Amino acid sequence: MNSQFRRIAHLDMDAFYASVELLRYPELRGLAVVIGATHDAQPVLQVDGSRQFARLRDYVGRGVITTSTYEARALGVFSAMGMMKAAQLAPDAIMLPVDFDAYRHYSRLFKAAVAGVAPLIENRGIDEIYIDLTDLPGATLMLAQRIKQAVRDATGLSCSIGVTPNKLLSKICSDLEKPDGLTILDMADIPARIWPLPVRKINGIGPKATAKLATLGVTTIADLAQTEPAVLQSNFGRSYAAWLQRVAHGIDESPVITHAEPKSISRETTFERDLHARHDRTKLSEVFTALCTQLAEDLQRKGYLSRTIGLKLRYDDFRIVTRDLTLPTPTADPGVIRRAAGECLRRVPLDRKLRLLGVRAGGLSSSSAPQIDHEPPQAELPLTV
Amino acid sequence: MLLYKGPRDQILSPLQSICGIVEKRHTLPILSNVLIEKDGDRLTLLATDIEIQIRTAAQGVGTEKVALTVAARKLQDILRSLPESADVSLNFDDKRLQLKAGKSRFNLQTLPAEDFPRMASADGQPAKFTLTQKQFKRLLSLVQYAMAQQDIRYYLNGLLLVVNGNEMRMVATDGHRLAYASENLPDKHERIEVILPRKTVLELSRQLSDNDDPLEIMIAPTQVQFRFSAIEFVSKLIDGKFPDYERVIPQGHTKAILLSRELLLQSLQRVAILTNEKFRGVRLVLGAGSLKVISSNAEQEEAQEELEIEYSGEALDIGFNVTYLLDVLNNLAEQTIECRLADSNSSALFVLPENEYFKYVVMPMRI
Repeated sequence: MNSQFRRIAHLDMDAFYASVELLRYPELRGLAVVIGATHDAQPVLQVDGSRQFARLRDYVGRGVITTSTYEARALGVFSAMGMMKAAQLAPDAIMLPVDFDAYRHYSRLFKAAVAGVAPLIENRGIDEIYIDLTDLPGATLMLAQRIKQAVRDATGLSCSIGVTPNKLLSKICSDLEKPDGLTILDMADIPARIWPLPVRKINGIGPKATAKLATLGVTTIADLAQTEPAVLQSNFGRSYAAWLQRVAHGIDESPVITHAEPKSISRETTFERDLHARHDRTKLSEVFTALCTQLAEDLQRKGYLSRTIGLKLRYDDFRIVTRDLTLPTPTADPGVIRRAAGECLRRVPLDRKLRLLGVRAGGLSSSSAPQIDHEPPQAELPLTV
Repeated sequence: MLLYKGPRDQILSPLQSICGIVEKRHTLPILSNVLIEKDGDRLTLLATDIEIQIRTAAQGVGTEKVALTVAARKLQDILRSLPESADVSLNFDDKRLQLKAGKSRFNLQTLPAEDFPRMASADGQPAKFTLTQKQFKRLLSLVQYAMAQQDIRYYLNGLLLVVNGNEMRMVATDGHRLAYASENLPDKHERIEVILPRKTVLELSRQLSDNDDPLEIMIAPTQVQFRFSAIEFVSKLIDGKFPDYERVIPQGHTKAILLSRELLLQSLQRVAILTNEKFRGVRLVLGAGSLKVISSNAEQEEAQEELEIEYSGEALDIGFNVTYLLDVLNNLAEQTIECRLADSNSSALFVLPENEYFKYVVMPMRI
């Protein structure tokens, strides 16, 4: 099939977490609301039946904003911003704690609703999916409208959809008319609709590449499309340059992957305050064990065994180090994971304070697949310390 | 500034003795460099991987003092590929190191010596021992093959060194087999127990000579220093408790047989060809006057060897990983070895007749 004639949709839920919270607290509609990892921001039910919400100005700590409503974004408050900093911009904004269980519930609902209309879906996270509409009967506009309606009926939430011949363009398009947007483009629309956009709108051009392109005088996708391939290659290396060249012309052949096994499962946490490996040993060890236990539970719940346990640390200067250890046999056991991660920890310098600790389980295999569970033939020496 | 001028080998061989520990890929780029310090006509070469640091000396020229770091492997590769008889000069000028030999010129980038990480010297008074390089190398060779590799029990990824009274012991185990060797020291010492990391053991064993030149060992609580030939070798120690090896060495095994090491080794090597590739199991079948060595693989192929032995006790059929048996036989030099067995679920003990200095315990395998 000629890929020019594919019809790929990208569906992105509008301010997903915030919108789920608004379903629960409709009185917050139209207000600036931020959601972040704050345990004590739980709304308090008053005697008169109304709820009292925490305000951003009262926040003290180092939590970051997970997401915010469009009203809060208008005040300059965005995801990943420190809450204390956000409080200066929007002191009156309402603060809510994150509730991933609720978001996962609505995520399942909207994906099931889409699947009822168009079954070829690639999961891209909790609030976005790609949908392959190519082989479905009916006009693109009608299909996209049916999907939006199905999502609204199932969840009461709105979403934005972009439909184009490929994933790259669709991802850009779903963002063009947010919220509640619907954008349909084909290759002929690229010069008018895509080229005027800044390069960072392309999924895969991050802050570093954006900055580097800017030094070459390239700020829009049009600039990028007109840049000499040789210039790109000498600045970005062969394969990234070739990719830049293709995406600037809206070319992307990547398929919609409807089924993917996870590569790894991880758990991580940023500490309330930076911890020192020695001085805060007890605290650190507690958090460490808890992460490993949670990770083991994730593995068991999802039915995986892990062969490679990895450790991730972020120091107080924001440097990240990771270490891995491959186990002789796959595991989902919290004790084994803790020991392996502990072993990784011995291989990193611990002279600086730590800001973040994470544990990752890679090399996944299905725990229901046949495992060699009989006694290993080689006997062990009765070693005791 | 001229650092060195002279025959290729007089700079290459000290460089080779420190380059073995330089990691190919490291998070700190400067660790792929060698630190070259010149103080008058004395050159000091130093390499480290943070766990181990090796230093040696070479003859320099001139009177000035200077220090720099340069890519260790590149320098070594260039020197090695020059003709053996070449005369070489090293010149440090404008942050670059120029190597000249005949009509060859190489300009290498350098990094500042101040940025090169050095191991802190050990706190406190270290315990000191001296023995010959040959003695220590022999002890290492008797046990090092039994060390674990990347085991989650990190203390097994190394070798236990014990000094007690006038005896030095080494123990290594991977949890399936354990090797033990000891040697007498010229004088008495306080008891001391440390675990040398695997890489340190392998590197030392590679570098020590088979001669009677002295090896000085200085053991501090967290690091150990070895001095031999012109080399100063410092290694961190593994912080951990080694298992109680004495409990693992069986005492009451009654079925004892004497075997020719060479004949048993050859039989095992042949039989090993038809073992299961994954488990590498062989059966030892002990009967009156004979020891059969039997293997078979997944394709139903079979091998059998028979050795004549002096034995009149109970019959026994026991399986082992052939690699564990080959390891011990390959690393001994004696003609005759003694194998002591109990039953098919218990370990086998290999010793040397009339000798308490070597023991090897290996657990059986169900076949």
